[in-house]
Amino acid sequence: MRWPEGWKDPALLELLKGTAIDYLLVPKGSEFAAVRTRAQQLGIAAGDPDVAPSGVGIVKGSWPGVQWPTSGAGAGPTGVPWIDSNGWLIRLNRALHPDVAAWVDAPPPAKSLIPADSYLIAIADSAAHGGRWIVTLDAPLAKGIVARDADSLATWKRLTAAAAFFAAHQNWQEYLAVGVAGVVSDFTGDNEFFSRELLNLMGRAGLHYRILLKDRISAGSFERLRAVSYTDAAPPSPDLRRQILQFVQAGGMLIAAPIWGQVEGAPGSSPQPGYKVRAIGKGRIALADDIPADPYSWAADAAVLVSHRYDLVRFWNSGAARSFYTMSPQRKQAVVHLLFFAERGPDSATVRVAGRFRAVRGSTVDAPRIEELAMQSQGDGVEVRLPQVSQYVALELDV
Amino acid sequence: MLRNHTRRDWLRAAATAVSGAYLAGTRWASATEAPAGPVALARCKTYDPGEVTPALRKMFDQLGGLGQLVNGKTVAIKINLTGSPTYRLGYEPLENTHYTHPAVIAATVQLLGMAGARRIRVLESPWATADPVEEYLLQANLEPRDILGAARNVEFENTNYLGFARKYSRLKVPSGGYVFPAFDLNHSYEDCDVFVSIAKMKEHATAGITLSMKNCFGITPCTVYGEGAGVDEPSLLPKGGRGLIHDGSRGPSKSAPQEKDPKSPRQDTWRVPRTVVDLVGARPVHLAIIEGVKTMTGGEGPWVSPYQKAVAPSVLVAGLNPVNTDAVAMAVMGFDPMADRGTPPFEQCDSTLKLAEDVGLGTRDLRRIEVIGAKIAEVRFDFAALRKQRGSMPERPLGMRG
Repeated sequence: MRWPEGWKDPALLELLKGTAIDYLLVPKGSEFAAVRTRAQQLGIAAGDPDVAPSGVGIVKGSWPGVQWPTSGAGAGPTGVPWIDSNGWLIRLNRALHPDVAAWVDAPPPAKSLIPADSYLIAIADSAAHGGRWIVTLDAPLAKGIVARDADSLATWKRLTAAAAFFAAHQNWQEYLAVGVAGVVSDFTGDNEFFSRELLNLMGRAGLHYRILLKDRISAGSFERLRAVSYTDAAPPSPDLRRQILQFVQAGGMLIAAPIWGQVEGAPGSSPQPGYKVRAIGKGRIALADDIPADPYSWAADAAVLVSHRYDLVRFWNSGAARSFYTMSPQRKQAVVHLLFFAERGPDSATVRVAGRFRAVRGSTVDAPRIEELAMQSQGDGVEVRLPQVSQYVALELDV
Repeated sequence: MLRNHTRRDWLRAAATAVSGAYLAGTRWASATEAPAGPVALARCKTYDPGEVTPALRKMFDQLGGLGQLVNGKTVAIKINLTGSPTYRLGYEPLENTHYTHPAVIAATVQLLGMAGARRIRVLESPWATADPVEEYLLQANLEPRDILGAARNVEFENTNYLGFARKYSRLKVPSGGYVFPAFDLNHSYEDCDVFVSIAKMKEHATAGITLSMKNCFGITPCTVYGEGAGVDEPSLLPKGGRGLIHDGSRGPSKSAPQEKDPKSPRQDTWRVPRTVVDLVGARPVHLAIIEGVKTMTGGEGPWVSPYQKAVAPSVLVAGLNPVNTDAVAMAVMGFDPMADRGTPPFEQCDSTLKLAEDVGLGTRDLRRIEVIGAKIAEVRFDFAALRKQRGSMPERPLGMRG
């Protein structure tokens, strides 16, 4: 937690008792000496606000939530509200630095009225993707808590309950991301902007992806994927090309920028303009006509080229929602994190999860078990009907 | 009276539907002369293909048979997938409330194929996207293969943009048009010999009801007629809905035919019914099918009002003239097809049926329409009574306007 500038009284540390908050980023200055001392006495680690503790990487994120359109044309190209989420950033950091915990520095915007549920979204958006949001209170809330204002204390209670919920489900951190498309890149240098934004926008397009670092590709990297995307500025190394072509030969799809080079194989029809499709072995290569310039278009095209037939999660009546589909290492249980970014959770939303499952349980920060959860099997998926819920739901599905 | 029409009757009726559109351009077309053709009615309780297909086959036979109309021809079918595929009425699947059910589409495609249709194009302009219609169906949890596999040479095309053609097709309104003299449309509406409208039986917040004619509102590409349409030329991709037709706040892309009178009323309740009639004049409907096996009351989609309800009227309506067919469907819904502005379901809007009748597209007078198969009273599902009970018409939404 980033200790508020206005909290100079060490007695305020009592608020942390019994919570999952175990590290404080305390402002510099002698006026906080008492806070640091008292924190040590209580067994709560405290450190420099600008330095991450050992084993932790601080990720600069965005305050998660919905950016509503300001004009009729809408904030996004389709007029759909834009969602700021740090999920892709956390996942990328975990992939790049698997031994480093990702703490997300994304303070609430100044001069904004922050509802209590926004803190729930901030915590859940990070925790669901394997990170930890650095609890950062907006100034009015910090003041209100000091003044023992009832609403402020209720917000604090809700915030710490959310942190406790995820602390109690640490085992989910071990679950592996499930995706239909793999994004192959080194995510650095000339490729940094496009590849990173592509991750963000694939999430927006509802296309579940896995991050495939170019220099760590192995035989198992493509397992259970339907497609891989290659958009880096340089052509792949001969070895990487061979591995990707093996994936295609076995039935996968490659969606590639022209830099990939000449493609052999029988011409096929493309469901999306701007790509030439060739059949190779049991799979296909969709080669873009032009150098990719817009990650939004690439993500949207990829969703169609792969096909919504293979959507891992579909939402109805969810409002601005995202999902993160994970599977236990033994593949016995899936946990699908559902994030609803509007100011209140949805009523009568339905979620379709791809896969064959025997049972489903749902939980929220407010309710360890959602009682009125109905599941209907649909062959290769299940439809789960949600009652009125808050902005975060975890679905645990038994294989 | 229940009898099967002959193929000669069928040809005559189909011809009058087309000539009606032509006559609409002449001064001597009038309500009393507006074409009258047969309309078939059937009870259909489920979407089981074992029930839907025989029911439709019988109805088409009652109308004279499909063969003479479609054998060797290219058939275009406009279906209704209004609104976002992620929006349900409660937990109800979209096809049970406001989307044309794929079982009805597939059964129609199958019967058209069996009747010798050479090529069948299933058309829709899905909400704010140029993605293939198949992908849109999948997002709604519907299976496009059920339709594609129902006959030979079946394909989908998204008509919300230029699509697979190099240029838009300009279709003129024979009557000269109430609002628009002509439209720039996706090529599929020109490149067909036979045009079929398969609609869902619903009320409509702006137009009172939405049946086989109102379904044609969605043939307009949003690249030309949408909020995000290009100013001079059509945009490459569609954005948003058709707000500019609703409120006339701006014109379509300048490359397309403009409104006849920019000073005409800007109210959507005036503009939408007239534009629909213009569209049906420009792109005549040869076969109108209205499915009300399951549907909803209180509006055209779940976004309209809080008074909506999923219902099961268990009825199919089909005819060779869209005005006649809509008139019978209105009667099945408990409304008077002769109603005009001020009377349900047209409390605040003009009657699309009356406007269509006035330009000679077809009669709405039940006395002149032969109803074959079930009687109206036998299959009536009283939308009008439900409307009266809830004491309101559907509220006109501000956001989503297909």
